[in-house]
Amino acid sequence: MRYFLQRFSQFLIVFFLVTFGVMVLMRAGLNAPGDPARTMLGGTASQQQIDTITARYHLDSNILGQYWFWLKGMVWEGDFGYSVQQNLSVVDYMRPTILTTLFLGVYSLVWALIIAVPLAVYQAYKRDSFLDKSGNFFSFFFISVPALVFAPFIIYIFVTKLDWFPRIGEKIYPWDDLGAHFKNFFLPVVVLAVPLSAIFVRLLRADMVATLQSDFITLASAKGVPPGRTLWTHALRNSLFSLLTSVGVNLGGLVGGALIVEQYFNMKGMGFLLVSTILSKDLFVVQSLSAILVATVVLANLGIDLMYAVIDPRIRHARALS
Amino acid sequence: MSDLIQASARDLSGPLIELTDVKTHFKTARGLVRAVDGVSFTLERGKSLGIVGESGSGKTVLSRSIMGLLPPKAAVRHGSIKFEGREILGLSRSQMRGIWGSEMAMIFQDPMTSLNPVMKIGRQIAEPLRIHLNMARSDAWATAERLLTDVRIPEAARRLNQYPHELSGGMRQRVMIAIALACGPTVLFADEPTTALDVTVQAQILDLLGEQRRDRNMSLILVTHDLGVVAGHTDEIAVMYGGKLVEKAPTRSLFANMKMPYTEALLQSIPKLTDPSHTRLSVINGRPPDLVNPPVGCRFAARCLYTQQRCREEEPPLVVTPEDPEHSYACWYPVGSPAYFEAKARIPSNSTVEVL
Ligand SMILES: Nc1ncnc2c1ncn2[C@@H]1O[C@H](COP(=O)(O)OP(=O)(O)O)[C@@H](O)[C@H]1O
Ligand SMILES: [Mg+2]
Repeated sequence: MRYFLQRFSQFLIVFFLVTFGVMVLMRAGLNAPGDPARTMLGGTASQQQIDTITARYHLDSNILGQYWFWLKGMVWEGDFGYSVQQNLSVVDYMRPTILTTLFLGVYSLVWALIIAVPLAVYQAYKRDSFLDKSGNFFSFFFISVPALVFAPFIIYIFVTKLDWFPRIGEKIYPWDDLGAHFKNFFLPVVVLAVPLSAIFVRLLRADMVATLQSDFITLASAKGVPPGRTLWTHALRNSLFSLLTSVGVNLGGLVGGALIVEQYFNMKGMGFLLVSTILSKDLFVVQSLSAILVATVVLANLGIDLMYAVIDPRIRHARALS
Repeated sequence: MSDLIQASARDLSGPLIELTDVKTHFKTARGLVRAVDGVSFTLERGKSLGIVGESGSGKTVLSRSIMGLLPPKAAVRHGSIKFEGREILGLSRSQMRGIWGSEMAMIFQDPMTSLNPVMKIGRQIAEPLRIHLNMARSDAWATAERLLTDVRIPEAARRLNQYPHELSGGMRQRVMIAIALACGPTVLFADEPTTALDVTVQAQILDLLGEQRRDRNMSLILVTHDLGVVAGHTDEIAVMYGGKLVEKAPTRSLFANMKMPYTEALLQSIPKLTDPSHTRLSVINGRPPDLVNPPVGCRFAARCLYTQQRCREEEPPLVVTPEDPEHSYACWYPVGSPAYFEAKARIPSNSTVEVL
């Protein structure tokens, strides 16, 4: 229990540091009262508009005060602020982009795992075979050549030349048209999932190879357990630690990658929105987007922390005692 | 004890295991490691055999060769291993799988690493029951509880739901025994089953093994570096050195009339009760032979106190003693022979011989 309180306070600290940092950065130079509102509203705003926004969001208080009111608005009232430029509440403005990025991130992670786990298990089982060596080569290749580098070529070949996939732009939800949805997400997910799965394969294969040499695996054979069951039931669960750690470590990178991929593929995701709102100084949108991103990554890492205990009873018991 | 887990009625004619010139060599970067180099013996049903030798003499490789549990790659195998009259040396892993756990079972040296750390004890015991005997989950669980009681684990029902790390080393080794006994195997291989345990627990585990062997009419191959361990617990003893069998005899005959100077040296190196529990053998001077380039002649010659010229030139064959046809040894100048006494007289008492 104490363990999770500790982890949770770490989460809060990271969250506060990042969101406050973003706020400070975005307001650099906007010190006079009314400055933030005027910046958001643009040059043509009337004094009355400026005053309304300033009063509504306490933009005349000092930065700590502004931060406090912003947090309070988010947590107590679900009010993430207002995009004056779009004349929309930030929540309504962000909602579609969050969905797009969520699909992108979740599909990429899930596919990276779906590709990596069976491959790594098989490679470890057939260690040093031709297939294992080819697998090692390809994972090495995709780790060395960042997919973000060849993404433009992929787009050129498959979108511009062959016209197999659409260049996105239009947001298509699975509930509108499932086929078009997957077609839309295919290439961006490939760009994100392939290098991720290359990392996962390497780590899981190494752990599996080590596990397969342990006594308890030999014992499983000596009991007459067939190889498939030995691999998937006995060996895999004992080999997940590096993989899990790496999922956590790479989540932040995945979010970052998603933001870039959105630019390439012209997807209206959070990255797209973040870049455009940073440029147009739409303060509340920037703050809310970064708050959501950091909270997602840190919360996912908390979840992964829980997973260690689910997988390994020794960790569970050690934590229960602390 | 349930009928299911009791060893089934057995045909008592013919040897259970018959090895003929078994060799297991490993291809390594250094060359061919002759870990087991021409071992022959037979084991009768229901009997127990101790395999003794210093660490590195090939005991583990020999027992795993018989079971067919070697790492699939790099091993070159030769000879014949018959189990209940059937040749099993060339069998594939999938052919062996029907035998593993049901006919042959094994207990490993280190109970700390031999159980799956993330699987409940109960499931680990139930697994072979479900695989070989097609037991339903609940039946297998009930049988597992009975097995834990058989190996004297208190509060068996509660233990089933525990994980290995919640048990002491001795308890874990009992769990290993319960797993091995689960399907009523014909022969049990115990590879240094007590080496990793406290002295006080060692005797309990050995007694448990002996008792279960008698109750279940099961053969036992007990592998150890400690002649003292097998002395009271096996019918026969085979002594290994450098991948070869150098002496084999019924236990009583071996102790009454030991022939190999190596066996004699092993006897003198039995750890005293006063030693710490993990002391390595240190009494025999010198190191075991190089298994890549084994010496010509007797492999023990370089370290033997009674070595003669012939020992370094000609390899002694395994011969039977005149007193006991079941007692064989491989030595030109065995303990008790004139040459042995002659050599012994030359050695000042209390001295050690330099290693060549
Ligand atoms: N898989 C293997 N590859 C190469 N050499 C091995 C392998 N397994 C065992 N050996 C070698 O075989 C010899 C006998 O080992 P082992 O049977 O474990 O000895 P013991 O059990 O008597 O201590 C040792 O020299 C060891 O290094
Ligand atoms: Mg050994």
